[in-house]
Amino acid sequence: MSDGSSDCAHARLQIGGDPHDVPPVVSAHLATCAACRQFREETLLLDRRLRAALELPLTQFRTQPVAAPARRFALAASVALAVLLAGGFWVLRPQPALAGEVVQHVLHEADTWDAQQLLPASDVADVLKTAGVEFDASLPVVYAYACPFNGHRVPHLVVQTANGPMTVMLLAHEKVSKRTEFALDGLHGVLLPAGGGSVAVLMRSGELPEDLAGKIVSAARW
Amino acid sequence: MNQSPRGTTPQASFSRLLEMLRPDLLRFALWLARDRAVAEDVVQETLIRAWKSREELKDPTAARPWLLTIVRREHARLFERKRLPTVDVESVEALGDPALASDGDAALHDLRGAIMKLPDEYREPLVMQVLGGFSTAEIAAELKLTQPTVLTRLFRARNKLRTIYGLTPAEDAE
Repeated sequence: MSDGSSDCAHARLQIGGDPHDVPPVVSAHLATCAACRQFREETLLLDRRLRAALELPLTQFRTQPVAAPARRFALAASVALAVLLAGGFWVLRPQPALAGEVVQHVLHEADTWDAQQLLPASDVADVLKTAGVEFDASLPVVYAYACPFNGHRVPHLVVQTANGPMTVMLLAHEKVSKRTEFALDGLHGVLLPAGGGSVAVLMRSGELPEDLAGKIVSAARW
Repeated sequence: MNQSPRGTTPQASFSRLLEMLRPDLLRFALWLARDRAVAEDVVQETLIRAWKSREELKDPTAARPWLLTIVRREHARLFERKRLPTVDVESVEALGDPALASDGDAALHDLRGAIMKLPDEYREPLVMQVLGGFSTAEIAAELKLTQPTVLTRLFRARNKLRTIYGLTPAEDAE
């Protein structure tokens, strides 16, 4: 420590506050105080470890089917308001653009295809309620989440079918004028008009179960 | 948001940007909330708000700090509005939350536990600075504190964590 212990105390406060950005007066002090230089080196080392510790591994964050927890409903009112306020814009967007966005969303959550365990109907109903959508929840749903999508919460479901897992997104705020098939980035599917909104149905492989898709459209209410 | 990659709409670009940054937002929210369900709620609300305010983001390269600021405000708002109970920090680890996985690095795991146990007033500015990349001045403005107060809190936060690595804490005129 240099002869001025108050200088050291000041330097260590500054270093402890931000070891990467010390003021000139502290830099000058460091040039003459080996103990404070060591303190700074230790703090920089600590910061590297801190950074590593804070970078939490999140790989499992979205792999499990997540039923809407009870507290999620506490936000429902504000979300409903947001949905109301946001409603109306976006309606005239070309359908291929919508298909691309749906595919991007599904690819981003590709781990949802791996879900195996059937969800209780009550869990699915919770997700639908969060998103403000009514739907017959008796399907074999293995994943359900009210995902943020273009400014709204949208039920994102994965349903088990004889042809493999099928993703269903209930897009209450995405109006489409006609049935639109698409095949993008290894996924194929169809956008179906449903009331004032639409339903997106996607599969990785296998034939799309048209009858099931039709049932889903007729079961959706918003 | 005026810029977008070739052949995409600005809205689609913004949507992709949100998806890309969502892990960062979730990580940040988890350190603030110390509760995964709350963190996910905060991030979802953040994404909704960000979408509604997307015209405010003129420079896509500034998206990360912009979104992290919304996360922090949403977290604060949630606590103000709902008066959520304080998280039992002992139970955070006891839950075996995958977010606290050790990565095979026991020291890192211990450090995560120690950060989780920091009082909110120390943990929040530390996370904002180290993970969020905010300057001391930005943290002070966001938390409505003076810069010296933020500096002191950051110093004390690091001082508490030094012992994890067997380092001697600096003297603190507390």
